[in-house]
Amino acid sequence: MRSCLWKTLLLLVFFLYLSTSAYAGSTYVLPYPSQMPGNKFYTINQVIEKVSYFWYFGNFGKSYYYQRLSDKYLVQAKTLFEYKQYLLAYKSLLKSNQYFEKIYPYLLSAKKEGKNTSEKQKILKEASRKHIEEFEKLKNNVPDKFKWTPEKDTPTNLNLWTTIDTSIAIRSKTL
Amino acid sequence: MKKLFLPVYFFTLFLFVIFSYLFTDQNLSYLHNIYTGLAANSRTIATMTYVIFVLLFFVFYYLILKYQKSINIKKIILVTSGILFLAYPAILSYDIFNYIATSKVLFFYRENPYILMPIEFVGDPLLIFTRAVNKVALYGPVWIKITGISFILGFDNYVLTLFNFKLLVILFYLGTIFLVSKISKNMKSVFLFALSPLIIMETLVSSHNDIVMMFFALLSFYFLIKKRIFLSLIFIIASILIKYSTIFLFPVFIYIILKTIRKESINWERVFFISALSMMLIFFLSFLREEIYPWYAIWFLVFSYLIPQRRNLLYLSNAISFGLLLSYAPFMFSGTYSGSTPLLKIILIFLPVLCLYLYLAVDRKFKFSKKLGTIKIS
Repeated sequence: MRSCLWKTLLLLVFFLYLSTSAYAGSTYVLPYPSQMPGNKFYTINQVIEKVSYFWYFGNFGKSYYYQRLSDKYLVQAKTLFEYKQYLLAYKSLLKSNQYFEKIYPYLLSAKKEGKNTSEKQKILKEASRKHIEEFEKLKNNVPDKFKWTPEKDTPTNLNLWTTIDTSIAIRSKTL
Repeated sequence: MKKLFLPVYFFTLFLFVIFSYLFTDQNLSYLHNIYTGLAANSRTIATMTYVIFVLLFFVFYYLILKYQKSINIKKIILVTSGILFLAYPAILSYDIFNYIATSKVLFFYRENPYILMPIEFVGDPLLIFTRAVNKVALYGPVWIKITGISFILGFDNYVLTLFNFKLLVILFYLGTIFLVSKISKNMKSVFLFALSPLIIMETLVSSHNDIVMMFFALLSFYFLIKKRIFLSLIFIIASILIKYSTIFLFPVFIYIILKTIRKESINWERVFFISALSMMLIFFLSFLREEIYPWYAIWFLVFSYLIPQRRNLLYLSNAISFGLLLSYAPFMFSGTYSGSTPLLKIILIFLPVLCLYLYLAVDRKFKFSKKLGTIKIS
């Protein structure tokens, strides 16, 4: 009887573990990778990105604009890391961080305007969780430090893990 | 009879205004004091009354056209506009709520309506009764800018804003009538257009922005006639940037501009005929995008009425108008867009056209045989 109870309890714990691990992942969907640096359309893409800054007016608009860019550069960094283009990936990661930090102040301004920001904050939290998930995966696949030595140019020391940790810290603030 | 029917017409319009308030939305908190729920609870009576009103409007339309010489056109247009201005605008369509919601995103929240949907403004009272809150702006930037006047002058009072939007559309309706008279120089065109039951229902009651789009399109034609190409181009672009459909008039425009530059004579009747046909084609193809909405008929009716001498086009336009107004009945009766409603709507739209062509065919055959009889006797 006791062993049966133990088995049931163990099974229950197992299923509970399964269920928690199944819901641990964020439901937030990241975009497809856009044009990568070096692509002939990359400069055009950058120009469109700058011009569209004016299209996304208003506090909600701006927070949406920066969230899109933060996602875009995170996906770009992830792809470039996969191709071991560490310097470009590192720069993309910094850009993603820079844009991510701009989202919340706009939501605060929107709140001051009297707009209900609860849904937007929920989305931001989801995005943060997704970003953190991606950073944790990334950390397992990149070296701690890397010395990028281009041809006929001075080398750059990249503290990849420190940067990833900083990225996680930036996202964690919104959780 | 002649003296009597105009007061009866105005009285019918007034009754229609009262009837329209039976359709007030249950969730429209701003008008909850006058909500009766009659149209939703007594669907058969509401539908039958609506069909009777449509029939009456067409009878009056016929009588007005028949006795047009003894009618003061300005008076009838102004009184009709004044009475129908008071009608509840969402009896047949909820678009006016969408216009206001889009305007609110830009002018109240100061956000881009092409990026943000009204539903993203959690807790806004408009969300309860506005239908397309889960869509970004559907209309062009010129329309949204124009609606700013009505929205701002609403001073955050929804009912005032609602009637400001109605007033705005009525002003464009009056402007379009002015342009019809200037371009056609024919009072018959003015009567045909200004008092068409479909035009008055979709413009003066439902306040659709299609009339604004067509106002700018006609203004553009007006300046083309005056050979002021630059102004004409500006206004056709303004028209396109209201609801995009008039982009299909662009080939006609290029053709006229080329003719004007080459100093060749232009057959305006033919131009309006081609414009009517191209807009009618787009109207019929609109089911590919969503469905054929009755107010889309305004796109070609404007041109059809400019050339009443093209009898077949005129008859076809009026038959379609009749069918389109009847096509509201299935939803009014069933309260659902699914089931047999879509099929019944299509049948009702095309049935008057079919009847018209059967009548014309029989009439032609009858006249032909009569002619033959006359020849034989002589």
